[in-house]
Amino acid sequence: MEYFIAQIVNGLAQGSIYALMAIGYSVVVGVVGLVTFTHGEVIMLGAYASYYAFTFVGENIFLGIIAAFFASWFIGIFVYKICYERFFDSPRHISLICTIGMSMLLKNLAQIVFGPNMKAMPQPIALNFVNVLGVRINTIQILIIFVVLSLSLGLYIVNNKTQWGIRLRAVSQDKQASALMGINVRRTAMIGNSIGCSLGGVAGMLIAIYYQSILPTMGGSLGLKAFSSAVLGGLTEASASALGGLLIGLIENLGTSVLSNSYRDVFAFIFLVLVLIIKPEGFSKKVGG
Amino acid sequence: MLEVHDLSVKYGYINALNGIDLNVQEGEIITLIGGNGAGKTTTLMAISNLVAKDGGHVFFKGMDITELPAHKIVQMGISHVPEGRKIFPLLTVKENLIAGTFGSKKKSAADLENKIAEVCTLFPRLKERIRQAGGTLSGGEQQMLAIARGLMMEPDIIMLDEPSLGLAPIIIEEIFRLILRIKDSGKTVLLIEQNAAMALQVADRGYVLERGNITIEGTGKELLTDERVRKAYLGI
Repeated sequence: MEYFIAQIVNGLAQGSIYALMAIGYSVVVGVVGLVTFTHGEVIMLGAYASYYAFTFVGENIFLGIIAAFFASWFIGIFVYKICYERFFDSPRHISLICTIGMSMLLKNLAQIVFGPNMKAMPQPIALNFVNVLGVRINTIQILIIFVVLSLSLGLYIVNNKTQWGIRLRAVSQDKQASALMGINVRRTAMIGNSIGCSLGGVAGMLIAIYYQSILPTMGGSLGLKAFSSAVLGGLTEASASALGGLLIGLIENLGTSVLSNSYRDVFAFIFLVLVLIIKPEGFSKKVGG
Repeated sequence: MLEVHDLSVKYGYINALNGIDLNVQEGEIITLIGGNGAGKTTTLMAISNLVAKDGGHVFFKGMDITELPAHKIVQMGISHVPEGRKIFPLLTVKENLIAGTFGSKKKSAADLENKIAEVCTLFPRLKERIRQAGGTLSGGEQQMLAIARGLMMEPDIIMLDEPSLGLAPIIIEEIFRLILRIKDSGKTVLLIEQNAAMALQVADRGYVLERGNITIEGTGKELLTDERVRKAYLGI
């Protein structure tokens, strides 16, 4: 039983990282209006940015968050300029294929620049165990949940309480009508894309800390999990995507507690397939216009 | 105030507009009437630069705005209420109204509230629904929201694309009364309508568009009594 509860805690911690990736993904897809396959690489580069910040500047968690956030922000601009901006009026598959190519490019560049081998991720906070209501939980997990909750709250406030949020949501609902409001749709989409990428980048740092390791090819399966979580949430709805991410994390960890750890990804994707068969619209309850 | 010279638009190899000319003076209600596919909506889309022009120029207050991107044209003071209302379904009524101000200079929070209150006096029904999502409004309410949103930026000219489309007659009358009130508040209106009888009654001048060409123009009264217009558009 205790083992079971511990796995639930692990699942929640890991699931909240997936949730953050998925929130980022849903923001990108919502604002840009195009599916991306570069998100995994953005996540990986965010993780590397914090790795180098920890290694060369200092092992401070805030420093890591800032490094990951801004590095992925600028990568977001780069991806936007190359894969989206010129293709808004083209068929959708063109920018989709462009993001696949961009993903390969970034992954291979990362192997050249950062080295192809796995590296140990510095641990910005000491690993300790605490008892919360009889449940053993470690400090890294607390850190993860805290960072994810604060960033999600931040996004919620920007989205729902500021005029910038209205801009972002207007652009994700109707680009032509937004242009008729005097909104610079391209610039807004670029910033929205960067916000989504930044959340992914910070999630990348968290997962690297969680696994205590970092690898240039880590983005592949992470990007797919972010995508799957977002699909569970109907692709553009942040809160439902977060729920999808959380569930995938839980299922993975509960699954590995029953069977072997090597089936981790199998559980995640079987879950995705099952949900899509039973409830193809995911958890989203979006109302139409 | 708004001048269109020799405007042409092509969709593929189909000519949607063949070099039309029109001008709108300050304080007027100008209407553009015509059947389906005559090019009415295309004219507005071309003015707002939402479709690529094949030729011609658009001048606003003497400035050539032919090549400006759509959001810059809005920021010049041309508000375009598109066909099919195009409100943001998941934003609340209030957020929709706030979105309408992005084309003008940034307002302080107090000014914004005042402006919303001012627009709500024109549209009392929106005030009751201010916290509701735009997509949950009825068709008539959505049209009122679309017009209200178009007024939020305090435009010099407001272009309305088929505001009566798909609405009950009693709501249509309400919309046309509103259009007159908008004119009385000193704004210029460019109105596109299939409902020619209503449009010509409120309009100062009108243009008849047929298959991409302007065939008849004149004051609202002249057009109402014009034999060709009566036959083709008023069914008399």
